[in-house]
Amino acid sequence: MSSSSAHSVSILELYPEHLEASGERGNVTALRARLERAGHQVDVVQHTIGRRLPKDPDIVVIGNGPVSAVRAVYADLMENAQALRSLADDGVPFFAVGAGAELLGGGITLADGTVLAGVGIFPFSARRGVPRQVGYIVVESAQGTVVGFEDNASEWNLDSGAVPLGVVTSGGGNGNGREGVIAGSSIATQTKGPILPLNPSLSDAVIRAALERRDVAYAPSAAHAELDRLAAKSREVIVANVKSVFTTI
Amino acid sequence: MRYIAPVLVGRAVRAATRARGGGSALPGYIVNKMAPGFIKNVVAQFEYGIVFVLGSNGKSTTTHMLTEVLRGHGLTVFTNPSGANLPQGISSALLSEVGVTGKLKADIGILEVDEAFALELSKTLLPSTILMLNVQVDQLYRFFETEVVADMMLDTAAVATQHVISNRDDAYLSKIGEILSKKGSVVPDVTYFGAAPKLVADSAHGLFNAANHREEASTAPIDALAELESWDSTGARIRVGGELADVVLPAKGLHYGIDAAAALATAAQVLGTEFDLAKASAAFSSMTPAYGRGELLDFGNEKVEFVMFKNAASLQLNLDALPAAPEQVMVAIDEGTPDVSWLYDIDFAQLDHVDVLTGAKAWQFALRLEHEGIPVGTIEPDLKKAIELMRALPAPTTGHKTWVVNYEQMMLARKIIGYGDMEVSF
Repeated sequence: MSSSSAHSVSILELYPEHLEASGERGNVTALRARLERAGHQVDVVQHTIGRRLPKDPDIVVIGNGPVSAVRAVYADLMENAQALRSLADDGVPFFAVGAGAELLGGGITLADGTVLAGVGIFPFSARRGVPRQVGYIVVESAQGTVVGFEDNASEWNLDSGAVPLGVVTSGGGNGNGREGVIAGSSIATQTKGPILPLNPSLSDAVIRAALERRDVAYAPSAAHAELDRLAAKSREVIVANVKSVFTTI
Repeated sequence: MRYIAPVLVGRAVRAATRARGGGSALPGYIVNKMAPGFIKNVVAQFEYGIVFVLGSNGKSTTTHMLTEVLRGHGLTVFTNPSGANLPQGISSALLSEVGVTGKLKADIGILEVDEAFALELSKTLLPSTILMLNVQVDQLYRFFETEVVADMMLDTAAVATQHVISNRDDAYLSKIGEILSKKGSVVPDVTYFGAAPKLVADSAHGLFNAANHREEASTAPIDALAELESWDSTGARIRVGGELADVVLPAKGLHYGIDAAAALATAAQVLGTEFDLAKASAAFSSMTPAYGRGELLDFGNEKVEFVMFKNAASLQLNLDALPAAPEQVMVAIDEGTPDVSWLYDIDFAQLDHVDVLTGAKAWQFALRLEHEGIPVGTIEPDLKKAIELMRALPAPTTGHKTWVVNYEQMMLARKIIGYGDMEVSF
């Protein structure tokens, strides 16, 4: 599967059949496109239930899904929890969205009160069943303004001292004025859209963290200009239409 | 007699709201308030009862097909205009058909119903037959989780007083037989439609029905009363019982062929021994496409083919149904499609370029295409200007331009090119 030249970058996609309900495949698409346009070869390796977790990924990506999907992957994820924690301890950046991020956190309290313990890579816990937040979201972060679409009924409570991805300027985020959480070079977020194509600076932060571990340089070039231009225009419209009211009847 | 006043008031409101242009739900609302028993009383007059058509995609098309097939058998059919599938829209549609005393001359009602209101509406309308088309990922911003939508349909199906017609190839809806027999229900009976397995296997992206993460797939094979055997640019071959029928499809595509199988299975159940496959296929020959589903409209000396999408499934299946990469393409998408995350789940291999991209979400769509290296000519967020850019292109050799549009942009585009005065109906 993997052809590992010095510059080949391996992206591990966790449970794509279950946890990519909100277009999170797009986050992998964005990372791949930016890496390839910078001249790197990319191997995307998918982990599905019952398979052996691939070794030595450079980036780990997980996405969102319904509670039924969370339950479906849970046993397999727990079997691989130690291996995933080791990757995080070694500095492999994780990029996690929605339910997948919650599984990699401290735990999820479901609407019926059941608690699912998490893998413990991200310092927060999630509580489901709060009022749903739907619409565009804008966040000020260390990587600049982050925009996207949110659609969740989940409140994220960060552990003491944990650092959020950013401060919400429009939308709901974690439910307390902040959005997401970071752990070293790993990022967990509730923002969809998908978030990485819309926010090249965030993609580049993930890519840089991955390549620095291997002493490989990364810089966006003219080959990235059109991706960046279209992302910038998309972001302008999102910020202008941020108050769009969506029917949730 | 007790309905004369409410009906007259409702009609007056209807006339007034129409004169101002719009507001079709209000008159129904007023009649419901003035005479709560009105609707129940009207629908009790249907000899063949009421059919609900439910599904993530294909409701309007299938409602239209079923209506025409039953009309082909000589029945007088009451149906709701395309897309008017919320409770007040249905009341308003009834209001426009009844006499002032509340009498309605129809043998059967065929109604497409929004999933979220189906169960509630079933309490008033007491449907005899429920047709369930598919569960596909749709409007998550509204339904949250796809299995919620599945349960809305399955729960409604259980209250049908005579027949349930369901999709054998849908991971959720194929469970209805098991669900009802576990309950020990004798009625409704359950009948399936489907597509031949080879047809599904050969489809580039299958049927695009939602994955079921909560239940194991059934291992026992399920028989389908109506099965789509093949389809091409002109029509579909469908086996009903032991008989084969060739039908003309109002719009091309695997999903439209399956809709036709669903309509035939339903007609066969509703009509029983009166069902005549020859009459049914004849009815398909004269069908016009539903609004925006493969419609060809005049555009100067050329034609425009509208390809409408509402969600990932309808966009992918409509793209897959294109015979070749369209020569001239406009894509129009606006905030009527709130969350476009799913654009990254779509395989755009059927497009080799887009000439004009328009609507508030044009930039987001262009960003998606750039990730696939599909070239885009001009991005013009204003639809009117975008249409002028399309007009300025030389005449395509195929004779028609292809406009891939979300629902809201379709309605606007139709208006701009001179089809806006028509009422939403067939």
